Amino acid sequence: MPKHDAFYKPQEDGKGWIRSWLFTHDHKRIGVLYLYTILAFFLVGMTLGGVIRFELIRPGMNLMDAQTYNVLFTLHGVIMIFFVVIPSIPATFGNIFLPIQLGADDVSFPRINLLSWWMYIFGAILIVCSLFTGGGPPDTGWTFYVPFSEVTSTNVNLAVFAVFILGFSSIFTGLNFVTTIHRLRCEGMTWTRLPLFVWSLYATGWIQILATPVLAITVLLVMVERFMGVGMFDPSKGGDPLLYQHLFWIYSHPAVYIMILPAMGVISDIIPVFARKNIFGYKMVAFSSLMIAFAGSLVWAHHMFTSGMSDFAVLVFSFLTFVVAIPSAIKVFNWVTTLYKGSIYTDPPFWFALAFIFLFSVGGLTGLILGSAGTDIYVHDTYFVVGHFHYVIFGGLGFGFFAAMHYWLPKISGRMYNCKIAKWSCVILFVGFNWLYFPMLLLGLQGMPRRYYDYLPEFEPLQYASTLGSWVLLAGLLIMFVNILYGTWKGKPVEDNPWGGETLEWKIQAPLPHENFEEEPTVTAGPYEFSDRGRGNAC
Amino acid sequence: MNQPINPVQQVDFAFYVIFGISIVLLFGITLIALFMVYRYHHERHPKPEKLKDNVWLEVVWILLPSLLVMAMFYYGWIGFKALRSVPEGAMQVDVVGRMFDWSFEYPDGKRSNVLYVPVDTPVRLNITSDDVIHSLYIPAFRIKMDAVPGMDTYAWFQPTELGSFDILCSEYCGIQHANMLSTVEVVSRADFDEWLNSSTKAQQNAVALFENYGCTSCHSLDGSRGSGPSLLNLYGTKHVVVTPDGTEKTIVVDKQYLREAIYDPNKLITKGYPAVMPSYKGQISEEELAVMIGWMTGEIEEKPDGKAVMENNGCLSCHSTDGSIIVAPSFKGLWGRDVVLTQGETKVSKKFDAKVFENILRHPEIVKEGDWNVMMPVYDSFTPEEIEAMAEYLKTLAVDEEEQNRENQ
Repeated sequence: MPKHDAFYKPQEDGKGWIRSWLFTHDHKRIGVLYLYTILAFFLVGMTLGGVIRFELIRPGMNLMDAQTYNVLFTLHGVIMIFFVVIPSIPATFGNIFLPIQLGADDVSFPRINLLSWWMYIFGAILIVCSLFTGGGPPDTGWTFYVPFSEVTSTNVNLAVFAVFILGFSSIFTGLNFVTTIHRLRCEGMTWTRLPLFVWSLYATGWIQILATPVLAITVLLVMVERFMGVGMFDPSKGGDPLLYQHLFWIYSHPAVYIMILPAMGVISDIIPVFARKNIFGYKMVAFSSLMIAFAGSLVWAHHMFTSGMSDFAVLVFSFLTFVVAIPSAIKVFNWVTTLYKGSIYTDPPFWFALAFIFLFSVGGLTGLILGSAGTDIYVHDTYFVVGHFHYVIFGGLGFGFFAAMHYWLPKISGRMYNCKIAKWSCVILFVGFNWLYFPMLLLGLQGMPRRYYDYLPEFEPLQYASTLGSWVLLAGLLIMFVNILYGTWKGKPVEDNPWGGETLEWKIQAPLPHENFEEEPTVTAGPYEFSDRGRGNAC
Repeated sequence: MNQPINPVQQVDFAFYVIFGISIVLLFGITLIALFMVYRYHHERHPKPEKLKDNVWLEVVWILLPSLLVMAMFYYGWIGFKALRSVPEGAMQVDVVGRMFDWSFEYPDGKRSNVLYVPVDTPVRLNITSDDVIHSLYIPAFRIKMDAVPGMDTYAWFQPTELGSFDILCSEYCGIQHANMLSTVEVVSRADFDEWLNSSTKAQQNAVALFENYGCTSCHSLDGSRGSGPSLLNLYGTKHVVVTPDGTEKTIVVDKQYLREAIYDPNKLITKGYPAVMPSYKGQISEEELAVMIGWMTGEIEEKPDGKAVMENNGCLSCHSTDGSIIVAPSFKGLWGRDVVLTQGETKVSKKFDAKVFENILRHPEIVKEGDWNVMMPVYDSFTPEEIEAMAEYLKTLAVDEEEQNRENQ
């Protein structure tokens, strides 16, 4: 059968190349736009992280003064959280594959989808402007805690406005996905035949729609207070700083699930494909995504056990935090059970999925220490927290994203990367990751607070070890990116279904065509019902 | 005796429970997953088996984590409750966090930058902040509590061994956040009492001592006549004194005489005054006596030390004394230069002098210097002497104009 043109090849519609990309309505092209911009921001955030780590190799001043350090960790946080992690999987692979997995031609609102990317770019421009205007780059940390963010002379106004804009970008994506999943499923695509990746995006979409407006309101109030002197949060004007923390975390804790749920979705798709076996407990895995989204919206104040709120509130939020651990544990148990009596192919996406399960487990289990009230008091705001959320976000979402890249990029581009190098990069990343972040957990248990430019001599050995680990991690990242990007452009052509997947994206050609489907597909079976026959060697 | 269990043990027990369960789970999951990957690799197990959904196993997968996390929650909560249950009769210390140091105030008004506590005594810390949010963190006692402006929070601990333990700020508060450090000094009860008393009184200046012991109701400090000789310029003068047996002799007022006159006043009575003064032996300590005599001899200036006042009140953690910029204008060269202030709605430029200084201490918000955003809290508890002393200190940091002109040329 003759192949159609790939979606990234020019179409004969008279539009120039730049216009055909920047003003495209095609969900695949928008996904690719997101992919490259997010990768660019990841490289910036990664560099900032590396520089921060280098500064901490020894106590005292090594590279920069304290103010520069404070600015850099703020930028690292803002860029990584708002520009990389929150859009990450939904905006890239979600955009590209959600409609295809549903058997749809596009998302429900293609123009809003494009607007969402443009809002993202607008927010990015604002952040860049905040570096060079006003009183200098913000130095408040990505959390913008009042009253510090109201007394600092740095350019917080523009930075929080950028966050406001980015919030809308996220809301639009969520709105689009939820509508698409409700309205554009093809014939036979019942709710229990949805791929688990779609289920996770569905849960994520609801959080984006419901929680992000709270963030928008919060940063708006910070601006109102800074510009007009209204006393919402500043106690010297009669405000309450704890109110800010509540409002901030009402969004920012569910945001953690915006980050991790899509990665769980990716892993739930990958594990059965490479085990050649239906996922164990499909309904429980799908339902646990909704459980996480729901229960995860009720745990925000576990960031505030030491804030001075009432002990009763600590009791309630500690309890709810442990409740949200249950669906996460169910997912992990079900992934491992899926492997039982399968026929496992250990290709690169599967390696990244295994690394994900381990790192996410460490992140989740260290989260239990933080959810338990008595122990949280000791490790709150220490390096233990820094280690914990890097295990969850980088080890979880990051490795989930890498798994998705190795799983789907050959499908998108029609070309395969070098599998051997991909596996090596996974090993180096895994070693470097633990080398970098495990010492942080120990530092926190030793009692070293976070956001410290300088530190007491007893913390030096572990800080030193952590910095060495960061170089291994950086090496792993560079090898992986070079390998996969080179493979995308120059790798050897790949067949339509290299991994033997059963979801709809594997039924169309690779590279992806302009039109997803020539005629609307009909689904007659679940997403992970594989034939008994083995599959060919993909690599 | 109903000795409360130290929360440190409760919290550590919760750590052991959660880490214990976590390590078993992590190793279990990892080893089982790796075993499956080996055992069911497609080369060893080419045909996947179709398994029916197993409801019972799923129920186990739900119940197992539920029970484990509820156990963890329980022990964590027990630890937290211990951290929040202050025993009755705990020693109260008021803690104020501010950019970028800690101030600890004891019930008798004694203030310190280091937290001295007696061993085996429960201590309740009443915590607040002067500016932004800080967090008082003492890892050795497993306590951490935010210092929030406009709000009172608390924490408590009971030291069980002597030693020095770190205090850190764990809520990011600005440029010097990492240097907002102090220590808890756990000392014996006797050492603590001595520290509390001696340092309390040594800190008081001589004038206050004279007032507190009631000396000034008979002995003036300004040369005016009372029912006893004035203490002003008393030292070194010749006095005719009368011994108890009625003989008169002339002596020179020296340190030995002053000491005797306070501890054993009726031995030698200055002629013309009644022998009514009681002995202060056992009331006025040797250290205090030295301060009082020092004032009379002129060896100890009773004026406070401006630099020390500034250090103790945290001024120098934002204002440098060497011209470098920390987070606020440096004190170097501040005296005598023009500063921009607001008067009502209008901006005015004023020469920095004692009056401006005092004004800024009480109303920091009037400063409109360059890009500085005023974060400084109001300081209205300084005594006039302290303000004067600080002003004197600022004067010493003034930049010599001639020198400056020479440099500029």
